[in-house]
Amino acid sequence: MINTLLSLNEATRTVNSGSNKVTLLNNINLDVKEGEFISLMGPSGSGKSTLLNCIGMLDSFTGGGYTFLGEPVHAMKDKNKSKLYKEYIGFVFQAYHLIDELNVYENIETPLLYKNVKSSERKAMVADMLDRFNIVGKKDLFPIQLSGGQQQLVGIARALIGKPKLILADEPTGNLNSKQSEEIMNLFSELNKEGVTIIQATHSESNASYGSRIINLLDGNIVSE
Amino acid sequence: MIRNYFKIAWRNIMKHKVFSLINVIGLTIGLSASFIIGLMIYYDYTFDDFHKDGERIYRVVTEFTDPEEKYYNAGITLALKDAIEDNSNFEIVSEFYIERPSKAVNIQNDITLKWPEFVIFADQNYLDIFQYNFLAGNKTEALKNPNQVVLTQTRAEEYFPKLLPSEIVGKTLVYNDSINVKVTGVVENYKQRTDIVFKEFVSHATLLQTNRKRDITKRYWFNTNSNSQLYVKFKEKADLSSVQKLLDDLALEHTDEDDIKYGESRKFKLQPLSDIHFNEDYGTYDWEKAQASKPLLRNLALVALFLLVLGCINFINLNTAQASQRAKEIGIRKTLGSSRKQLIVQFMGEAFILVLISAALSLLLSKWLIDVFSDFVPDGLSYQLFKSPILIFGVVILLVLVTFLSGFYPALVLSKYNAVSVMKNQISAAEQKVGLRKFLTVFQFAIAQVFIIATLLVGKQINYLLTKDMGFKTDAIVSVFHPRAEQEFSKKLLFAEKLKIIPEIKQVSIGGKGPASNSINSTNVTYTNGKNIAKSEMQYISGDLNYANLFELQLLDGRLYRNDTIRELVINETLLHSLGFSNPAEAIGKLVETNNKRIPIVGVMADFNQRSLKSEIKPMALTGDWYRPDFSLYQAVHVSFHNETSEHLKSTLSKIENAYQQVYNETDDYRVEFMDDTIAKFYNREQKISKLLNWSTGLSILISCLGLLGLVIYTTNRRVKEIGVRKVLGASLLQINTLICKEFLILVAIAFFIAAPIAYYGINNWLQDFSYKIGISFWVFLASGFAMILFALIVISAKTLQAANANPVNSLRSE
Repeated sequence: MINTLLSLNEATRTVNSGSNKVTLLNNINLDVKEGEFISLMGPSGSGKSTLLNCIGMLDSFTGGGYTFLGEPVHAMKDKNKSKLYKEYIGFVFQAYHLIDELNVYENIETPLLYKNVKSSERKAMVADMLDRFNIVGKKDLFPIQLSGGQQQLVGIARALIGKPKLILADEPTGNLNSKQSEEIMNLFSELNKEGVTIIQATHSESNASYGSRIINLLDGNIVSE
Repeated sequence: MIRNYFKIAWRNIMKHKVFSLINVIGLTIGLSASFIIGLMIYYDYTFDDFHKDGERIYRVVTEFTDPEEKYYNAGITLALKDAIEDNSNFEIVSEFYIERPSKAVNIQNDITLKWPEFVIFADQNYLDIFQYNFLAGNKTEALKNPNQVVLTQTRAEEYFPKLLPSEIVGKTLVYNDSINVKVTGVVENYKQRTDIVFKEFVSHATLLQTNRKRDITKRYWFNTNSNSQLYVKFKEKADLSSVQKLLDDLALEHTDEDDIKYGESRKFKLQPLSDIHFNEDYGTYDWEKAQASKPLLRNLALVALFLLVLGCINFINLNTAQASQRAKEIGIRKTLGSSRKQLIVQFMGEAFILVLISAALSLLLSKWLIDVFSDFVPDGLSYQLFKSPILIFGVVILLVLVTFLSGFYPALVLSKYNAVSVMKNQISAAEQKVGLRKFLTVFQFAIAQVFIIATLLVGKQINYLLTKDMGFKTDAIVSVFHPRAEQEFSKKLLFAEKLKIIPEIKQVSIGGKGPASNSINSTNVTYTNGKNIAKSEMQYISGDLNYANLFELQLLDGRLYRNDTIRELVINETLLHSLGFSNPAEAIGKLVETNNKRIPIVGVMADFNQRSLKSEIKPMALTGDWYRPDFSLYQAVHVSFHNETSEHLKSTLSKIENAYQQVYNETDDYRVEFMDDTIAKFYNREQKISKLLNWSTGLSILISCLGLLGLVIYTTNRRVKEIGVRKVLGASLLQINTLICKEFLILVAIAFFIAAPIAYYGINNWLQDFSYKIGISFWVFLASGFAMILFALIVISAKTLQAANANPVNSLRSE
């Protein structure tokens, strides 16, 4: 039987902009099973990033229920939330968001530091990851010395190092050319086959086609599945 | 994890070199000042802290009160010891008498010490109160009988070089060619810091063989000599208040009738051993060393604190300003699972690294600074003190404290960033802290401004003190003192004659000290006009008939005394008035009574300042030398020159020294004083304050301006696009410069308005010590305000002009 990874029940997010109340997400109902590869689609401002951030627990829903691996996230304290996503979630960003002051090796290593992984174990894990992504030769370079595609590789490596169950990718290929995009998307589907659940936000139909399920958003509502 | 933090911290420091440098400079200055001043405080507060039961040891001193002021005497009347000795609160009572023999000779080896320092005539109890380590001899026998002496090791080596302590015991010394004493012990010098500096302890009974015999045997109640010292050690559970009451009662019981008549009184006080090092009223035994002063230490500590706070403020300002640049890293770290606490630890770690770097630099600098501040730093203080565990502990505490002070707030601000808004480039947190930064900048500049105003005003006052007409001639006058042991008056005359034939010398006068000096000879004088008795203190100076002429003292009426030895007085205007005369003519020819003698007033001279301008002009008289031939008040020959430029001075001085050598044998006692030097020495303390203020001002301006520079760099970087757009739209260099400068100059101006009243209050307080003072003028404030604004303007413009000069295409293209 396939487990449910997370489920949203009437999840809503509203913010106050001046005196207006703006609804960013409106009564979202969504179940994500383990092993799915979901593409969120929709025009700019439709709520894709907000939904990703809320699922990633960087933001929170203002209404409705959110259950992650059976735990009610909407009732959790920040500290427990951070423990939860530290353990199970990896992020990949459109702008890569590597730490400029750290080299490739150190960037990939950082999540392990926050999980208090032992030094020798860390070394092995990072070495594996560098190997797997064929970037051993670049481990001492700083982000500024890498091309966009290479930076995104490092970003994905960093997201994977903690062995997450879920990867949240916000326009992962938005800053890349088509060849680099293809490489990254192939990588994603490979990971998906290994059992990692992926939710990506994207504008591109071709990227979306890598996924197993497409969800269209418009003005904070799910319009089609 | 820690290694990772340090790595990041180091890379960040290197990436923002200018900001790091500003931070390090500010913190280094603050820390260096703290280190040095902490060292001084530690040094002064650890004097005489090693004596066994030191907290129970007290010195008995005397405080005199008359209707006008209080006088302090570190000695007591000799009668007091017998009166209190039997009180059961005391464990030990010990008296000693400080007496410097004119010479001490080791006859066997023919070694003579002239005027040996730190010789005391001590009773046996002295060695019980102050415990010495005996290298040879026996403590219980050492000072028991007359004609015994105990030497400290250093003194023993001077008399008996190359002998072992055990060989020195039993040898004989001869004081003043007449008193034979046997060495009964050699003790180790105190190795710790101490004000008990004595080196030679003669048994107390030996005093009976000196010319103090009369005082010692009579033990008068009404005679207080600062050389006769009394120490007591209390029992463990002693009742100090009952002892103080006993002392008060004794003082009351033995009150002179005259004292009651003129409203004078005295009190015996108990001075704790730990107070001796600081209390200037009673002084220490080594006069050559400047006395430690608690107010000075407090002011220094304040300066250090201010400098440190200024450095911390720079750190806070620059780090919160830079926050937006760090925001991305913070956001990423949060998404990677960092908790807020971990981020705070990381940023504190960065602060700590900067503090450590600064501390290392400060330790290096301190070595050099000890020399620069030699005026403040006590002689015995050395860099080695840093090895003491208390100081090491203190330094560590200070570093942690500074880290918290400077690092905690920025860490709090930085770690607060919300990961999502950072990722979306919606950074607003940095902007919100602008208010705080402005506040801190105002605070910094207010401190700097106070220092500037204070420096200018203190400098002005000192200049005024040094240049104000004292009422007599002060420049180009040299006083040559006779050898202290010389009693032969004919030699003084001979010396004066020899000086008169030196062509460069204009006038010569034999006399006492110059009109202004630190020593006072004073007595009381009364005048009865038939009905009323007027009583006054009378200070006196003495000199031959040329004295008034040489110092250009102005005779208002009457004449000088007819010759050196006739009993006649020339009084000053203040004495004239305090004796109740309304004009000089009235006083001439009147008889006043002093020391049971009736002496006529023959002249009245104009007032002049006989001491520093801190004190008022006191009643004074000019006299001859009427105690001759018993003893002479004349100690020096005063000389004025024809040519007042300094060119010929050197050759003239060597001629004077030649003459001295022809007349006197004791050539090693040659003492020359320039009158203007003597006056400048009155203001040593003020000069010190001035130097301190100069440094504080310079450093506080430096730190504040560096901080300002950092903020300006940050602002111009942030507004580079705005500057570009404005330039494209046609703004001139000046307009852009004004735009950015305005924001900061307003802060400096606000600081001025905060600083001005504080500085006014402080300086006004300080000036109260002076009888003669400058007015606090308006223009000083204006000038210092403008100076500060000018400094700020230069700093700001240096950066803004560069930014405004940049090609706008570059800044706009990056968008």
